[in-house]
Formats: sequence, C-alpha cells, structure tokens
Amino acid sequence: MHKIALAGNPNSGKSSIFNQLTGLRQKVANFPGVTVEKKSGKLLMPDGEEVVLVDFPGAYSLYPNAEDERVVLNVLANPADGNFPDAIIYIADLTSLDKHFLLLTQIKDLGLPCVLALNMADTAEKEGIVADTARLAAFLQMPVVTVSGRTGANIEALKQTIPAILRSEKNTTLLYQPGVVEQAVLRQVQQKLGIENPYRALLVAHHVDKLPHLSAQEKATVAKICEAEGFQGLRLQIAETMRRYQIFTPVLQAAIQKKAETSTFSDQLDAVLTHRIFASVIFFGVMFLVFQAMFAWAAYPMDWIEAGFGLLAELLKSSLPAGWFTNLLTEGVLSGLGGIVVFVPQIAILFLLITILEEVGYMARAVFIFDKLMQQFGLNGRSVVALVSGGACAIPAIMSTRTIGNWKERLITILVTPLISCSARIPVYTVLIGFVVPSEQVFGVFNLQGLAFMGLYLMGIVAALGSAWVFKKILKSGEPSWLMMQLPPYRLPVWRNVWQTIWEKTSAFVLGAGKVILIASVILWGLATYGPSAKMEAAKLEATGIAEQKNLSPTDSADLVASYKIEASFAGHLGKFIEPVIRPLGFDWKIGIALITSFAAREVFVATMATIYSIGSTDDEATIHDRLSKARNPVTGVKIYTAATAASLLVFYVFALQCMSTLAVVRRETGSWKWPLVQFSFMGLMAYLGSWVTFLLLS
Amino acid sequence: MSNSVTQLKEGHSGRITHFTDDRIAGKLTAMGILPGSRVRVVRIAPFKGGYYLKVDGMSIVVRNDEASSIMTTTEVD
Repeated sequence: MHKIALAGNPNSGKSSIFNQLTGLRQKVANFPGVTVEKKSGKLLMPDGEEVVLVDFPGAYSLYPNAEDERVVLNVLANPADGNFPDAIIYIADLTSLDKHFLLLTQIKDLGLPCVLALNMADTAEKEGIVADTARLAAFLQMPVVTVSGRTGANIEALKQTIPAILRSEKNTTLLYQPGVVEQAVLRQVQQKLGIENPYRALLVAHHVDKLPHLSAQEKATVAKICEAEGFQGLRLQIAETMRRYQIFTPVLQAAIQKKAETSTFSDQLDAVLTHRIFASVIFFGVMFLVFQAMFAWAAYPMDWIEAGFGLLAELLKSSLPAGWFTNLLTEGVLSGLGGIVVFVPQIAILFLLITILEEVGYMARAVFIFDKLMQQFGLNGRSVVALVSGGACAIPAIMSTRTIGNWKERLITILVTPLISCSARIPVYTVLIGFVVPSEQVFGVFNLQGLAFMGLYLMGIVAALGSAWVFKKILKSGEPSWLMMQLPPYRLPVWRNVWQTIWEKTSAFVLGAGKVILIASVILWGLATYGPSAKMEAAKLEATGIAEQKNLSPTDSADLVASYKIEASFAGHLGKFIEPVIRPLGFDWKIGIALITSFAAREVFVATMATIYSIGSTDDEATIHDRLSKARNPVTGVKIYTAATAASLLVFYVFALQCMSTLAVVRRETGSWKWPLVQFSFMGLMAYLGSWVTFLLLS
Repeated sequence: MSNSVTQLKEGHSGRITHFTDDRIAGKLTAMGILPGSRVRVVRIAPFKGGYYLKVDGMSIVVRNDEASSIMTTTEVD
C-alpha cells in the first residue's frame, strides 16, 4: 500500500486538511523512539486504490529547532524508515506563502513526488489575495491546488492529483545549487554511504550527529569527510536558506497578488490581549471562566451517569441470582466502570475549552505574556500550555512539552506539571471538602466550599512553581535557552478539529486510564471480600456477640459485622500493615487501603471508599460523604473523619503523585526511570510532610 | 549604521541587516526571518520580557537575547 505524508509548517492548517481527507478513520500512535504523535488514516483514491495518509508534525525547515520538527528530518533523511513516504502532500498557508516555501523546496530537492495544496483559500479570498497557480506549478514542476480545510472546498480536486504524482518520474533537478565545499562533501557522502539523492547526502552531512539511523562507523566516516573539507555546518545552513529565499521570492512576488498590508483584526485584538497590564488580568479571567464552566456544565451529565449506573446495579441485583458472581459484577465491575465514565463529562468539557483556546490562537499569546515570569522559575513560556492542560490531565500536558527546545526547561516542566490539580483529583476533593468546610455563602456570592476548592488548586500551582524554582537551582545545563514562536492570526476554531481532538483525548482516557481503574476495582473488591477463612469467621462471631451485648438494631449490627469482616479481609491486613506509617498523618487502615489502591489512579479513591464502607453500588459523592461522616469507631463511638483527618488527606492528594500512567509517560518522555523516580519521591515527600503538618496544626 | 531590534521602540520598524550570533541566526532564518526582511516591534513584554515582532507580515515572539542579536537599519514610519 502506498504511503502519503502530509507535510507543512506549524499553523499551515495541516490537521484540518488531514481531518477532511480521512474523516473519522484515523489512528493515533507515536513515531518510533519518540512520543511525537503520529496520526494516520486510510484514503480511497478516485481510481479505487487505497493509500495510507500520515500526518507529519509541523516543521519550518529540515534544520529542526525542536524535537517534533526533528521527526520530519529523521524520516525524510532515511528511505529505509517505516514511515518514509512515496509522495507528499505539502500544505501551505496561502495568506503567508513566502514562509512556507523553504521546507517545500527542501522536500522537492529530496526528489519526492509532491503536490502543493494552498490552504486557507477562503480567508485569502476575503483578504483579496489571488494566486497564479499555473505559474507556481511551472516553477515547482508539481501540481498546485487551492483548498480550504475549513470549508472542505477543492478537497476532491486535491485527491484527484495523487494517482498521477504517485506514477510520476523521479525529479532529479535541484532548485538549490550547492556551493563548492558542499559539492565536495556531498559527493563523498553519496559515494561512501551509497546515497542516491545529492540533497539527502548534504542533509546527512549537516545532521550527522543526530540522525538515529546512521551507524557509529557511518557517523565517523561522514565526520571525517566534513572535517577534511572544512565544512562549516551553521554558516552553510544559513547561506542555503538565504539562497532558497532568493530563488523563490521573485516567483512568489509575480504569482501572488496581495493588497497592501493594513492593520488586521488580529492586530487590533492583540492590542488588548497582549497589553502590558491587561494581558495577565484577561488571562486569569479566561482561566477562571474555563474552570467555572467545566464544573457548572459537567454537573448535570455526571448526575445522569451516576443515576444510570445506580439503576443498572439495582436491575442486575434483582434479576440475577444472588452469589459471588452477581456481587463481582455489581460491586466490582460496575462500580469500577461507573468511576471511569463519570469523569468523561469533565474531561471532555475541559479539553473542549482548552482546544478552542488553542485553535483560536490565544494559547500562543499566553506563551508570550508569561515567558519572562516562567523563566524566573526555570520554565519556558511554552510551559504555560502544559501547566494549563495539567488542569485536565497531566498525561497530554506532559506530552505537549515536546515543543520546548531547551532540555532543562522541558524536564522541569515535566517534573512539576503533575502538581497542578488534575480532573482526577476533583472527586476526592468533593468527597473530603465537606468535612473541613461548611457549605455556606460568604459575601453573598461565593460558596465557602467553592473557595476552598480554589484554595486547593492554588496550593498545587504554588507547589509547582516553588519546586520548579528549586529544580532550576539544582539542575545544571550548558544548553542555551531560547524562545522563538510564531503567533498565528486569530481565527474562528474549525469545529471538526475541535470535536476530533475531544474524541481522541477522551477515548484515550477511557481506554488507557480506564483499564487500570477497572482492574484495580475488581482486585480491590476481591481483597475486601475475601480473607483468611478462620479469621473471617472469628470476626463475624465477635461482631455478632458485641451487637447482642450492646443490643444494637438489626441495621447497626449488620454494619458492625461488615466492618469487622473487612478488617479481617486481605485488604484489611494490607491497610493494617501500613497503618503505623500513616498514623502520624491522622489516617487509619481504611484510608490506608484507599491510598494503596489509588496509586493506580487517584480517582480510584472514591470507588475504594465506596467499596470499603458500603461494599456498595454507589459512586455518588454525596452518598459517600454521608456514609463517611457517620463512620465511628464501633466500640468507642469516636468519629473517624474529623476536620483534621480530612484536611490532612486533602493536602496529601494535592501533592502526591498517585498515577501510574503519569509515571509511565514521564519515563517515555525522559528516556529513563531516573526522572519518574525523582518525581515520585519529591512529590511523595511533600505530600507526607504537608499532611503531617496539617494534621498537627488542626488536631 | 545599524542597531539591534532592542533599540527600537514599540511601533517602530527597521530592515534587518545581519545577525550577530550564528546559532540564533540559524534558528531565525529557518523560520523565515532573513537579512532584508522588514521588522516592526509590535509589543515589548514588561520587565525585559519577550519581543512581539512582525516580520514581513508574520507575527513572531522572541526573547530579549534573541532580539538583541537581530541588527536593523532604523526607519521611522
């Protein structure tokens, strides 16, 4: 099957075209060895042939500045790469075409069959830009089509060109004529490494240190050639870039008619949104609205989901014969599933809002506004995007750091992002906050519990910046730090892209994290239901005895029996085992069990508490809260959940890194277990000390 | 006579003559910022923060360090 790659600059609207071409038939994976996302999809050609379309990361040139750009070079420099394309659809933004021609002419010189799609035809038309496609096609020796990823205009025409370019002869004429030194080097590299295309040989000489497909011996050979010929990579790279611009700029000037530059809508908007003083005020206002909207909108679907799962559990219980299998289904599997699905509204809404902010172009402005502040903490303006997305989920947030070019800044961003309270902490906060803060209105408008919620978020943000500052002092880096980023013009979001992103991220959560949560719930159910049989029997007898002695009502004695039984179960033993360690924090063995299981993922806490206290079918926070507030030591009658314990537990959840998936992603991003271990330890230490101090102060 | 971009005031423009740092020049040219390009300072972030530049119609953000290696002729519009 033929492979076609979609290439172009960032902000060229590549993903819109990709979505138009493939629709929902997409697969998301990673490029081998890196976590740069690789999207692919199947495409049916007009002649009935099916081809694979791969979306390359956006890049400005084959001299990459960041890791995602590097992927494009790594693939195109190595014809043996599994992702090496048979042809390329090059997407360029018609409204600023000159900046898009550098990479295009480089790709053309690699001899790959190519079609040029001039995107944003709709916007260009409004701005009065007219392109002479015939002239461009004659210059580039490739088909040129104007398209619109937004409206879908001409997408069919673009498809029609593909069969022809797949059959076309290899084009071997170079647009860029290498200089004397370059010629000498590339000839020898071609010969020694057996590379057919001269420009590919030149790229190998430029990037010899960083190309992963070269063997150590090949690297040594190329390095020796470069040294012998006095090959000054950086100088030659700049000269090549300037020469290319000299070649294509006159052609573009002749082929593109443009009105004189006027103050655009984006400029006027930026006068306010990047204002020296108002910019940060507006940013915090926007973030406040985003999180406010997330809580407000998600409340309704969450109630429906909870009610639905409650009904389903009832239905199963009444229709299936009583026994361990029914219990496993309703109390293990179903409560686990409920615990996953109930988060979907929050996650989807948060991704909806963040994706809109990115699509519109606002996130790039936030990078500009906060770069200086972030630098003080050893971070980069681009870290803002990760920290904000961390409010939804640390996993995509950590993956978004690959646009940060400086390794130290990127590493610090990765290390501190999980301190930002993610959506998985919300249910834990919801259950516990009621113990610490009464639900009262203050100043007429604010809910006291709502303010406490905000306080927990702030605590996370302060902790993230504080530990970033510490890492900045500890970690050494000789690598220069820099920021160069294009601000795309403000545009209305392409809704198709927004839905696509939400669908992808949410299903990744349900399938990825969800699996873990489901398995943890089932294991936990088993641990809490079974135990050494002699001890289980003894516990039951003892509890019944006490109940008779104290003359308890039937419900009270049933509760007492359940409570004694879980204490005797395997889960109870496990919790008891770690109790001495967590006693100073005000936690008992029941909380201990929840801490252990919620290492799989924080949101398991609520499911665990539900299982431990009711062995029940509920995931509803209010019900669990109700149950916990009634929990007393059965013999002494002292309340277990005091404000001090709950506050201590809250602080623990703000700081602790209880998420296996995050650790796995950090390992993949940093390439070793060292950093996830460092991260787990420093966050764990902060959690333990923070909880301890909180408990001491409040009790 | 040429000055660095950091000597231009907000709203002022110049034409790029050369870069004083090869490493930064490599990155800037890869993004299409070249000698001969017309550059306008749109906004300077407070506390010696980033520079929001408009280069040949493209909006781009660079840090103070990078901006100070871009040398321009001064032209007032």
